Amino acid sequence: MGSIMSYLLLGLKVACQPINIMWVTVGGILGTIIGMLPGLGPATGVAVLIPMTYAMGPVGALITMCGVYYGAMFGGSRSSILINTPGDGAAIAATFDGYPMAMQGRAESALAISGIASFIGGMISTVLIIFLASPVANFALRFGPAEYCLLMVAALAMTATMAKGNVIRAFISLIFGLMISTVGLDSQTGIPRFTFGFLELLSGIDFLTVIIAIYALGEVFKCFKGIEEGTKKMQTKFGKIWITKEEWKRCWRPILRSTPLGFLIGALPGCGGTMASLLAYNNEKQFSKNPENFGKGEIIGLAAPEAANNASSVGALIPMLTMGIPGSGTTAVMMGALLMLGLQPGPLLFQRNPDIVWGLIASMILGNFILAVINIPLAGVLVRVLAIPPKILYPIILGLAFIGTYAISNMVSDFYILVIFGIIGYFMQKADIPTAPLILAAIVGNSMEVYFRQALILSNGSLRIFTKSTICIVLLISTVFFIALPIFRDTNLFKGKTKKAAA
Amino acid sequence: MNISALTGIVTMVFGLIYTWMAYSMPRASIGKPMDHIIFPLILGIGMIFCGLLLFFVEGRKVMEGGEKREAGAGLARDTKLIIFTCVMAVLYGIFFERLGYVLSTTIFIGSLLFVLNGKKKWKTNVIVAVLFSLIVYIGFSRLLSIPLPMMPILQI
Repeated sequence: MGSIMSYLLLGLKVACQPINIMWVTVGGILGTIIGMLPGLGPATGVAVLIPMTYAMGPVGALITMCGVYYGAMFGGSRSSILINTPGDGAAIAATFDGYPMAMQGRAESALAISGIASFIGGMISTVLIIFLASPVANFALRFGPAEYCLLMVAALAMTATMAKGNVIRAFISLIFGLMISTVGLDSQTGIPRFTFGFLELLSGIDFLTVIIAIYALGEVFKCFKGIEEGTKKMQTKFGKIWITKEEWKRCWRPILRSTPLGFLIGALPGCGGTMASLLAYNNEKQFSKNPENFGKGEIIGLAAPEAANNASSVGALIPMLTMGIPGSGTTAVMMGALLMLGLQPGPLLFQRNPDIVWGLIASMILGNFILAVINIPLAGVLVRVLAIPPKILYPIILGLAFIGTYAISNMVSDFYILVIFGIIGYFMQKADIPTAPLILAAIVGNSMEVYFRQALILSNGSLRIFTKSTICIVLLISTVFFIALPIFRDTNLFKGKTKKAAA
Repeated sequence: MNISALTGIVTMVFGLIYTWMAYSMPRASIGKPMDHIIFPLILGIGMIFCGLLLFFVEGRKVMEGGEKREAGAGLARDTKLIIFTCVMAVLYGIFFERLGYVLSTTIFIGSLLFVLNGKKKWKTNVIVAVLFSLIVYIGFSRLLSIPLPMMPILQI
């Protein structure tokens, strides 16, 4: 305990150097802006800043990258709330209740609670990371490929059953998303799958492109309908960006529940903000006494995923720093940057360069405060985006969507994929098929399949590996439970209806 | 036949095509021959199953109050807009590298603005389109060092 405190003090000394404070602020602001733009997520932001970090030295570089990562977590929900277009995967859950809140004229509360929840989630997680770095890494070590595969199956099942609308449609969406993830060159056998002979498809369809297509393009297409009538209400004047006491009373417990959940999920390699925020959302929906309010502007539905995704971004740093295994796409990019700077992440990093690691952790504490200041009072500035008349805003959003996609992949063929999936998204809306399961499936599909095949290789083709460990059994039971739940729900409703009809 | 039935059928057909494509993939020469096909097969069969379920559970309900088709000739306004946007986007992609970022983006956004905003506001349209393209171009290529296709003759 004493050693942890002394390390922390050492770290604080590093973090409080004026230049490092500046880096955290700059990184935070850039990250917030980048996070707000559809398609440009934290991974792109960090990747883009890598050339700039050469001049900064390892500590500065790491601190800036974390600032960007963090800022993007705060910022991604801004565009989710205001224009129903998530800035990245982790902000998808913020669209479920954040946008309805804005539509109901409660945008100030939405922006405020998302900032507050993010701040609390981030602060608590930073405290957690100080004490829990080692034990959490040990728990994650117990997850083998079979456990990972089942965790993803359970998360997908949960999302499908909790999605709006019919469960069958949610599963169709889910399977379609998994199918998207199978496109490309198979990494283990080298055989191209579903590429139709197109070279551009060999690297697969990037899930970010799918997200932008379905959300940005889909939202614009949807709005074309109302654009002629001009009936879309746009909020131009904003009151004080803060929340009421009653709203806080409802939210603080879900925030405290979602933070450890997000932290743990983030700590598992391969699972990042997207899964954490969606699981937190579903979790709170289950706990709630009024689950039907979720999706209609329930403030808890915004607070929980926001806390969870900030918590997960901190949690994702654990495997990266302690084991050298990236916890998410963004941390993978960060790790690449560290290696370029000559630092080897892993247990030795803690021993050889404690000032760097602890400086980083301490700067996260500072960064949280700085970003909260940027995001809560200054949200009014950011919110001016809505003041732009929709007829001008939508072409700009489309322009940003395309450039965002190009920035990720540098391939013009992605423009065509955007169009195709935009059209698919439009038809999905018409057919009442929810889109969230598709996105989640497209993100985890690849990893899930790799883990599945690895598990089978380990067990020599036997499926029994999926029932061996306790973790596996727990996950299997959860999955079955989630799939069975709506069947019971619907049959009860059905019985209720026939009784009423008979009465 | 209502929309659920249609969705169910489309899903089933899609699942069938996917499964057939998966099964006809070349067998692997390294490792187990069917290794890379198992997962897609599971997905395809699952999709067919879901399509069947959807069709039988919902598709046979009688539609109460059919969807009123727009009583005008031709497609609805928003469908036309969507088609226009998609066509422009495809053209955008085709000419992107030849015309350079600034020109092609200006044309793309400009065309959308003209269709949405109307010809009367052409000044606003042109200003917004050009400004947007320039700001993004300068921001990305100078500040963030992300390469974007340059203008063909001037090579800026």
